[in-house]
Amino acid sequence: MKDFDLKLPDSLDAAVGELPSEYSRDGAQVLAGGQDIVTVMKDAIERPAALVSLQRLGLDAIEWDGDGGVTIGATVTIQALAEDPNMEFSLPALREAARSIGSPQIRSQGTVGGNLNQRPRCPYYRHPSVSCFKKGGSVCLAEFGFNKYAAIFGGGPSYYSHPSDLATVLLMLGATVSITGPAGERRVPLSELYLLPEDALDTETVLSPDEILTSVHIPAQPPGARSSYLKFKERASYDFALAAVAVSVTRGDDGVVTEARVVLGGVAPKPWEVPAAARALVGEPMGPQAWTAAGEAAVADADPLEHNGYKIHLVKGLLFRALEALA
Amino acid sequence: MSHSAKGSPASEPSWGKRSDLDVLNRDIPRVDGPVKATGQAIYTHDVRLPDMLWARLLIHPVPRAEIESIDLEAASEMPGVVHIEALKESGDTVRYHGDDAVLAVVAAETPEQAADALREIRVKATSLPPVVTRAQALEDDAPVVSRRRNADANVGRANERGDAARADAALAEAVAVVERTFEIPVQHHACLETHGHVVQPAPDDEPVTVYASTQSVGGTPRGLARTLGRDASRIRVLTPHMGGGFGSKFGPGLEGALAARVANTTGRPVHLMLTRADEFAIAGNRSGSRQTLKVGADSEGRLVGLKLEADKLGGVSGGSLPGPPYIYTVADDDAVSSKIRSVHTATDGSRAMRAPGHPQASFAMEAAVDELAYLLGMDLVEMRIRNLESDVHHRQLRRVAEEIGWAEHPHRDRPGTAVNGRAVGIGFGVSVWGPGGRSSRCDVTVRPDGSVVSATATQDLGTGARTYVAAIVAEELGLTVDMVEARIGDSDLPPSVTSGGSVTTGSSAPAIKDAAHKAREALEALVADVLGAPVGSYSWKGGRVSVRGDASRSLPWIAVCALLREPLVAQGEFRDFLHEGRIHGAQAARVEVDTLTGRVKVLKMVTCQDQGLPLNRLALRSQINGGMIQALSYGLLEQRVFDEQDGFLLSDTLDLYKLAGAQEIPEMVALIDDEDERPSVCGMAEAPVIPGHSAIAGAIHNACGARLTRMPFTADNVLETLYGKI
Ligand SMILES: Cc1cc2nc3c(=O)[nH]c(=O)nc-3n(C[C@H](O)[C@H](O)[C@H](O)COP(=O)(O)OP(=O)(O)OC[C@H]3O[C@@H](n4cnc5c(N)ncnc54)[C@H](O)[C@@H]3O)c2cc1C
Repeated sequence: MKDFDLKLPDSLDAAVGELPSEYSRDGAQVLAGGQDIVTVMKDAIERPAALVSLQRLGLDAIEWDGDGGVTIGATVTIQALAEDPNMEFSLPALREAARSIGSPQIRSQGTVGGNLNQRPRCPYYRHPSVSCFKKGGSVCLAEFGFNKYAAIFGGGPSYYSHPSDLATVLLMLGATVSITGPAGERRVPLSELYLLPEDALDTETVLSPDEILTSVHIPAQPPGARSSYLKFKERASYDFALAAVAVSVTRGDDGVVTEARVVLGGVAPKPWEVPAAARALVGEPMGPQAWTAAGEAAVADADPLEHNGYKIHLVKGLLFRALEALA
Repeated sequence: MSHSAKGSPASEPSWGKRSDLDVLNRDIPRVDGPVKATGQAIYTHDVRLPDMLWARLLIHPVPRAEIESIDLEAASEMPGVVHIEALKESGDTVRYHGDDAVLAVVAAETPEQAADALREIRVKATSLPPVVTRAQALEDDAPVVSRRRNADANVGRANERGDAARADAALAEAVAVVERTFEIPVQHHACLETHGHVVQPAPDDEPVTVYASTQSVGGTPRGLARTLGRDASRIRVLTPHMGGGFGSKFGPGLEGALAARVANTTGRPVHLMLTRADEFAIAGNRSGSRQTLKVGADSEGRLVGLKLEADKLGGVSGGSLPGPPYIYTVADDDAVSSKIRSVHTATDGSRAMRAPGHPQASFAMEAAVDELAYLLGMDLVEMRIRNLESDVHHRQLRRVAEEIGWAEHPHRDRPGTAVNGRAVGIGFGVSVWGPGGRSSRCDVTVRPDGSVVSATATQDLGTGARTYVAAIVAEELGLTVDMVEARIGDSDLPPSVTSGGSVTTGSSAPAIKDAAHKAREALEALVADVLGAPVGSYSWKGGRVSVRGDASRSLPWIAVCALLREPLVAQGEFRDFLHEGRIHGAQAARVEVDTLTGRVKVLKMVTCQDQGLPLNRLALRSQINGGMIQALSYGLLEQRVFDEQDGFLLSDTLDLYKLAGAQEIPEMVALIDDEDERPSVCGMAEAPVIPGHSAIAGAIHNACGARLTRMPFTADNVLETLYGKI
């Protein structure tokens, strides 16, 4: 891989100061656990001249507020997230998502911030010799080529599906991220963090190259809400989501759903919320009828390519199974 | 001079009665298990020599192209580069993805420097239409990519057998007929250790040493002789440990030739192992196929007619597929017809792979048998037994059926239906193999200090061969396995076979036995002077020799060896009567299908396998398990993917070429068929890989009625089979 400088700043300001305000292929980039950035560098997909490590910034704490909300530092490892003792009880869906990621080695090294900012896994993007929109090229070979893993929502002109499991659940949980740049700190709801290819091709998020995601805040969940994350891996041993669903359901005393939230993963260039699916559940008792209706609503706007139409069946099936498990 | 154990032996060697065996036919832990588990075993990849260079290949990313220029200048100036060489020049074409796409080789002081330099090679080329699929190869105006001389199309000559009209007539009269088209993708060998060599050059009067990840320690010197410009006898090949071959490592290949050439040119040792991406591009594969199979049965469930039209998809090679009917019998031989041809694409040629062609044939044939059984309302096991000649298969099928819980299974003659989207099913498959045995040699050396060495130029691909090289001798001489040193993986040792077609055990084990037996008789001749009984009347057990029938006349091993004044060397050779190569197996699989998500979970797999005398039951079960796992991975996940527009190989990482991992592995039961009491040995590595994926497909069908005619059985395939393509 191309030689690069490793910067180890001691403060957030210094770190931001090392980063360029505009993207270029050889501009400095953030280094967290290195599980993704090092692979894209080895394959010469990105060629930053410097990496700015977050290691010394002290962003690695998980802090629970008194009211049930939690703030997770950007460099908390995925393994630490999965093992946090409060997680199983308070946010089982997030714990499930964390546990589903990669392998123990990857979870122990990869961070929450890195997971949210990881680059697409589209086989064309990852192939060192293929030119594509995401790499400054002028084509998306997945559109008419091998698109089994591609997006069925929100695609065009590029059709990758977002790989992050955490993002899907965090959107369902109503999380907000804190971002620090030259102008100071800003807070962005997860629902506004990601961009579609029609909005941007050289990045997947609203972060500018000189901004650092410092933490994720998850608000207290509605009382009585129960949530789950169900991910379908083609290779059960370790894999990205072929499709995934994050659901949260609150029921009244009569068992009828009063509130619901449904987010899909692995099917769009960003975590894909489907309010229509949630609406199909609200006012109904939990049962196969409502689950099937929610599934139909979830895929109503899907626009599959040649080889990924099966994801429509898959999303319906996964949503059914996730709701069944919550009932 | 050493004692020689040549000359006519007093008796022929024999494997002995099973009840008398102390070492063989038991679970023997691998002699090299500890060094492998602790990372001390040195594989070719691990070889580090002083002053060694690291070589890397530049492979053109698309299958077909015209080369305008390959500019090495910038690359040659990169730090650490010692040798750089283009293999093509302006005006040349790249004809296919594979060894023909290797454009350059770079050797540098470190592997990183070699990789960095590769990236600085400037290639100007014009891509040509890729021709990576069967459909592209068969288009009217498809470019001819076949390597056959004077080929004018991408279709090889069809091999036609039988009489189609007779088959049609039989099928017209059949009570039940099934016709299906099956599509089977290309599978990679995916050896844990990639292909490659480390070549250490030498002055003319010394041997060149080559460390090779090879299935043929003995054949590799010949394979490199021309490139190295010296006689094979002055090339020594070493394969102390090896990380798998599965049929893909018979010769040095282009990578071996280049390692040798760079070593010759630079005069320095060269390490050239393929990267994982190179491995997927140029190291061979199991051919795919497309088969349209039509089979009919009478009301008794007997197969009465069969027609097969098949395309073998072996890239630029021919591919393999045995003719029909695969293992099963059709009542009238004349009612079987087949037309099998090769369709060539501009992709890496297929090579032998663990039972070449057989898993492909099994997939179609077992499916047809299942479907005919259902049409006739017959039990799947009964249907098989009626159409298999060998009673070995019959008993093995009954055995696996019992182990998988067939009698208690609710739907044995029709598929089940999902309840709340969940369904459980069972499927079956059978295998055969004829593992050969041929010329092989072994030297057994016994030294006055009691140490024993068993030496033969075989190679242990990960199979456990090294362990029986010691164990057979231990058995014969009444020793424990750790008292015998096994020496293998060195072309200077007595020659043995190339490991292919499951011939290793059938060839080398008889030679080892023969050497051990000769050593024993030579020792008995010495012992005779002390204990008084003639050669042939001794029992060797528990580290002692005693006169058979008179345990009071005995000597400990160490005292026997003390009678030697110099090392005793016994030379053994292949003895045909110690080998018999005809084996059978049956497998069953139980799966759960989630019909809402398309998830196939294999719950349990069972194999029953014969092979004559099991030399090492632990290694045998391990081979059987490995066969089941490889078949499961083939069935559930493995698929080579090319981009059809430009021809990029997309599945050239272990991320995208998906192999089964721990979570995919079901409960596995490997049963050794002990009703087989043949006093012979043979290899059996290929048989257990043949039917596993077929049994899984059968189990999916049995569970929920979905007959998957495509592999692998991923969610898209299951869901599209159940609900149609969207
Ligand atoms: C084999 C494998 C399997 C995997 N499987 C899964 C899976 O199943 N599900 C899943 O969700 N992920 C999966 N991943 C992705 C993995 O989770 C990410 O690679 C990892 O979390 C990245 O974290 P990191 O800390 O190593 O990030 P790095 O590699 O250091 O950084 C990743 C990217 O994010 C940027 N970045 C990192 N931190 C910040 C920050 N705080 N602010 C701004 N930008 C930042 C970097 O510049 C870089 O572009 C897998 C990865 C591998 C290699």
